[in-house]
Order: sequence, then C-alpha cells, then structure tokens
Amino acid sequence: MKKLYTMTMLLSIMIFLGCEKEVPGPTVEVEVPGPTVEVPGPTVTVEVPVAVEPAVYAFNRDGVSTVYYSGQTTRLNQHDEIKGKMNDATSTKAGILAMFNDGTGFTDATLDGSKKVGNKTATNSANTATNLAKFEGWITEFVDVVAVAVNANVDATAGVAGSVSDAGGGSRTGTKVNAKGHELNQVFSKSLIGAFNLDQIINANGSFGYVTGPKLNPVSADNDIPELHYTSPGASEANVTKMEHYWDEGFGYLYGQDDQLDPQLGQGGLLNDYLSGVTASYNTIGIADNIYNAFKLGRAAIVAKNYTQRDAQAAIIKVELSKVVGAKAASYLRSGAGHVTNNNMASAFHSLSEGYGFIFSLQFTQKADGSPYLTYDEVNAKLTELDAGNGFWDRTAAELTAMANAIDTATGVNTTL
Amino acid sequence: MKKKIFSLFILLFYLSCSTDDVEEQVPNINTTTKPLNNFDRQGMLVFWADSIIIPAHQKFQIDLINLSNSINDFSSDTSASSLNNIRENWTTAYKSWQHIEMFNVGKSEEINFPVRMNIYPVNTQRIEAKILNSDSDIENPNDYAAQGLPAMDYLLYGIGANNSEILEKYTSENSEYLSYLIVVSNKMVELTDLVVSDWISSYRDIFISSTENTATSSINKLTNDFIYYYEKGFRANKIGIPSGVFSGNTLLDRVEAFYKKDMSKTLSIEAITAISKFFKGISFHGNSSPKGTSLKDYIEFLETTKNGTSLGQLIIDQFELSRTALNGLNDDFTIQLENNKLDMLITYDIIQVAVVLLKVDMLQALNINVDYIDADGD
Repeated sequence: MKKLYTMTMLLSIMIFLGCEKEVPGPTVEVEVPGPTVEVPGPTVTVEVPVAVEPAVYAFNRDGVSTVYYSGQTTRLNQHDEIKGKMNDATSTKAGILAMFNDGTGFTDATLDGSKKVGNKTATNSANTATNLAKFEGWITEFVDVVAVAVNANVDATAGVAGSVSDAGGGSRTGTKVNAKGHELNQVFSKSLIGAFNLDQIINANGSFGYVTGPKLNPVSADNDIPELHYTSPGASEANVTKMEHYWDEGFGYLYGQDDQLDPQLGQGGLLNDYLSGVTASYNTIGIADNIYNAFKLGRAAIVAKNYTQRDAQAAIIKVELSKVVGAKAASYLRSGAGHVTNNNMASAFHSLSEGYGFIFSLQFTQKADGSPYLTYDEVNAKLTELDAGNGFWDRTAAELTAMANAIDTATGVNTTL
Repeated sequence: MKKKIFSLFILLFYLSCSTDDVEEQVPNINTTTKPLNNFDRQGMLVFWADSIIIPAHQKFQIDLINLSNSINDFSSDTSASSLNNIRENWTTAYKSWQHIEMFNVGKSEEINFPVRMNIYPVNTQRIEAKILNSDSDIENPNDYAAQGLPAMDYLLYGIGANNSEILEKYTSENSEYLSYLIVVSNKMVELTDLVVSDWISSYRDIFISSTENTATSSINKLTNDFIYYYEKGFRANKIGIPSGVFSGNTLLDRVEAFYKKDMSKTLSIEAITAISKFFKGISFHGNSSPKGTSLKDYIEFLETTKNGTSLGQLIIDQFELSRTALNGLNDDFTIQLENNKLDMLITYDIIQVAVVLLKVDMLQALNINVDYIDADGD
C-alpha cells in the first residue's frame, strides 16, 4: 500500500536533552513539486550537525588551544596609550601620529611593531578616507590648538580653547577643550568604538570584518577539510583553520584585554569597557551574556561546519553590539544635559564629547536588516547640530534631551530607564 | 509514477545547558510599612545640625585660624621652626576637614566649598603661573585646583626637593611663594567663615524645619550628600583613582596629600571615622556611644533587613571591615601602591560593598531618590 503526502512537508524531530534554555532552531521547508508523491520503504535520514554551545570560549585541537588573538590585544592596548597622549599637553603631533599610523613610539615598548590602529580604522565601511581624516584632524587640533592653550593657562570660554572646570559643585577640573568645548581624547576614543571595534567585527562594506559572511564564506571549503593554516601558541605545527582564526580575531577585538574564559567586562577604554554598564541598565540587561554566548556558539558551529548556525550567531553579535553603541550615544547626551543644568561645564563637555564620539560611531552599527541606526550623512547632520554656534557651550539641556530621545527612537534602546 | 524521497529529518539537539543555571541571588530586602513620618525626622535633623555639622565646622574654622596665624608668624620669621608650625596646623586642619566634606548643603553648596577646599591632584603648573605673574585672583573655576588644602600641601612640601630648598623659596627677597601661601590661606578662612556664619545665623533653622520627603528636603539632600561623599570623596578619590580602578594604570600623584606623603592613610582613616559616626549618630565631640538619632536608627525603626540581617548592622560591619583594611595599608599610599597595589584594590572592593548597601538598599527603604549623576571615572 502506498501512502500519499501533500505538497509541502516539514519534518523535524526535536530532541530535548536536559536543558533549561530554549533556543529556536532552524526550520527547513522542503517544497515538493507535483501533486502527490510516493514514499517507498525506509526513509533516508540527512543529519545536519548542530553545534552545542560550550560553557566557555575554549577550543582545542589535539589537546592544544586553537584560540589566540594577540594582534587584537596589542591594538587595544595601543589605543589606551594613545588616548592618554591625547589628553597630555606635552604630547607632540608626530608622536601621536606615529603611534596611530605606524604603531611605533609607545612608552610601553612591547606595543611597538607591525600592529597599528590606524590601518584598522573605518576600513570596512564606506567613506573610509573622510572618516580617517577626522581622526587625524582631532590629533592635530589637540596638539596644535588645545595643548598650546592649556600650556598657556588659557581659561576656555565660548569660542576659545583652553581649560575648563566645574562651577556648580562638580569636581571635574582642568578639562582640556577646543573652541567648541570638545574634549578631543574622548571624541577620538569613543569614535574608535564604532570605527575600529565594531567595524572590524561586523562590517563588510569595504574590507571585510571578521564576523561577516564575505570574510568567512570564501574559506568554507577550506574549513570543511579542515585545512590547517595557522599555528597557535603552544602548537608545533599548523592547527587552526582560517575560518576559526578569523572568528577568534573578531572575538579579540571585543575581549582582547579581557578574560577569554570568564569575561570581566569594563576592560580597557573601548567597547569592552561599555559592555559592563549597558548590560546592567536600560532594556539591555543581560546583553553581554547574549554576546559572549553568540561568540561561543558561533565558534562551535564553525568547528561543526554548520555555517547556517554560525551566521545566526553572527547576526546576534552585530545586532547586540550595535545596541551597546546606540545606548551610550543617547545616555551621554542625557548626562551632559544634567551637567549643563547644574552649570558643571567641565563635566558636561566631558559627557558630550563622549556622546559626540558615540554618535560618530553610529554609522558603523548594524540593525538586523544590515542598515545602520544612522547613516554617514545622518551622523554628520547630528554632529553639525551639536556643533552649531559655539558648539557645546551653546547647547541647552532641552536640546540635548531631544537629541537623546531621537537616538533612542532609532536604536530601540530606552536610555531613560 | 513520480517517486520522491523527501523525508528530511532535522535533528535539533537543544543542548543549551546554561552556565548560569544557579539563579542569580536576588537580595531579599524587607521593610515594614510604617509611615516614614512616624520617625522623629526633625529630631534627627536637630542632632545632625547641633551635635555634628556645626561643631565640626567650628573645629575646622579654629584650625584654619591657627594655620593663618602661623603663616603670619612665618612671614616675619621665615625659619624652619615657623615652617614646621604651619605644617602642623595644616595637618590638623586637613584631618578636621575629613569631618565636613560630606555636608555639602546650604552655603557650602552655593559656594562650591568642598571643591575649593579639597580638589586633588593640585594643579601645580597653574600655581607656579600664578606665582610667576603675582596673580592673586583665584575665583575662576579653573583655579579651584590651585587652592585649598592640596595647594597648601604643594606649597609646604612640594616646591623644593628638601626642607632647605623649600625654605629657600620663602626666604628669597619679595617671595611670591609667601604671598600666594597667604592668598590661599585667606581664601580658606574667608570661605569657611561664610559657611559657619550661615549655619549659625540662618541655615540651621531652615535645615531643621525641612522635614518633608521631597527631593529638596534636608534629609533627602544630606543623605544624598553623605552617599555621594562615600562613593566619590572617600571611595574613588582616596583609593580608587590612585589605584587605577578607573584608568587601569596606577596614578600615584592622585593620592591625597601627595607631597606630604605619609598622611594619606591617616586622612582616609579620619574619613571612615567621620562616616561611621554620622551614620551611627555619634556627636562630633563624642567618641563611641550614640548620642542622637541617625540614619541607622531610621532604618532600624523601619525594621529594614537584607537577607534576614539588619541593614543598619550590615552597613556598620562593612564600615569596620573598611577601617581594618585601611589600617593594614602603608601610611603613605604611594609606597603602598608601588609595593603592593593588590592590597589597595582589595580595600577598594571592601569599601565598595557598602556603596550598594547605602545607595541601593538604604535609599530604597527610606524612599529617597539618588539626586546626583554618576561619574564614569575617566
């Protein structure tokens, strides 16, 4: 006797093995042409290997860890020193540019070498050259304008670069600002959180970020073999595939100064620093776990050669990391508004400079559909709004709150919580 | 007939056995539903004003007058022993200051009293520029880091490599260093007089009659000031920032009384003493037993417990742990940081525990909102 089936069938057997958390698995629809079909005898089972999320980000081959990302750690540490130099009135322009573009001249000589931040800035997105020019512009303005004024003991006022201190009971003193009130090391550093951290991990509109299809798909066949290309520390011969290592490098751009097995968050001065605050606030509570789990499971999926599963985790990473940047863009405008109200201009300018950098970073974010919260043009329009007239000196608490609300609307993060 | 094998079995192994299967511990805070107003709120305000705040300010005022007088003596006799008298009086005043930095209400808030008295690190570049230019105007907010107790720390201990070099700066003819020392001293006396006379002449009565529970009421504001001081003035400024908790790298020059060196521990112990006495309700001149109503009494009145233990007791216990940790450090925090930074970081963590007890648990029980913006540390 024959059994007839209708056109579309979906068979899935779900085996739940002692779990507490449910993760929606992929469903596969199989379209069958023709009005009816006949199924004879035994069915053929096609098993798609599905990776299991490991407890920690640890992966071995023949007992040796295959995970390493020392280049990312070096670059993150380089940034931290550059950020300090961008707030040191004795810095030279040549000195900072050498650190940023050439990876040389660091006080910590172990940071000198082939790795650099500059050639990894804004390279995976459109408008690389114009964006990169802004970073160099901030370096130049700090050394040539702000540091000169600070060294001459100039008190900053609207339109005049120099030092500014809180006058409303706040305790921030000697903040070094340009004529518009920008504290340039904050602008520089927070802008890198988008242009460097995010861009290197999630974007592929230029060169290709490490956790993106265009970077990972071309090495699929290679990973399937698996063809071993890289030799991890502690291994005597090649033991890591290209795809595994790319993913680890993406991981390194976020966790390169943190504990791989037990992220502490709040490490260094870039994106990892902000994970700790955002994951404890707003409607983004727990976001850091989602991100770490996605990195773990995505890496396990690469080992299992399940690229659909890998891409699902990459999608989580891009969306959740973008929220961290979106949340801070708005929340710094809000704290800036509070300081303006209290007449603590040094604190206000500090917050607004951070917000300015995070807004710049919004062009490097991605929503689920791949579009950024704000485009390059929209970002520049927002920054122009902040810079109108004498810039931060002229901004009212009401204006800043309205801008924060608009950013919240774009990101879906509620920073009033 | 068309045959097709189309069965596709997708085996989904839901194996997300999570690492966080231990449920995060949710603190169990219990508070009675007694109306807050049944507590003698005015009694507490009267005790704070008359037995702690005003006497503490008056003591500081006397210390500054002594300091000013010794500077006067020094100006007519720039000897090593006169300089030592100034230093001793400055040390005494700096310790007294630890008892009033937390009370930033009224005139104090109006004139930025805490930041004009004790912002550190001191801006030595600005002080040197002022001295070079005989500039005695220190009213710009940028000058706040060039006056007060830290400025005097630099002027008394930091302007030369040793005592004779320092003395040399004061004994050279027409010493602008001496002039600036007097400018700084006079400003401290002037500002303190303003705060003290305001408390006595009018603010005390305003303060004690503001018994409601609103954002601008006395208890709400002072409790916020107290917690802000604990978090910022005590935890961050004295321990966290120099230890690099917020910056990663150690910042030795951020230690309180950096130029005097061996006093940073003494000042932090003085601070935890002041914090603990205020919380327990011990009068300024008293030593141990409570003499009046306090925040501890208030949360005990509300029978607030955390995980079954009295919140007030938890806070006191944590203050004592902090004191013990501080006592174990070197007198000079720069030496401590160079030799054993970890102990400073451990001390920070112990101090931090009470931030949560005060800022989250206590404020929730008292139904008070935080009225300040968190500083992010960099």
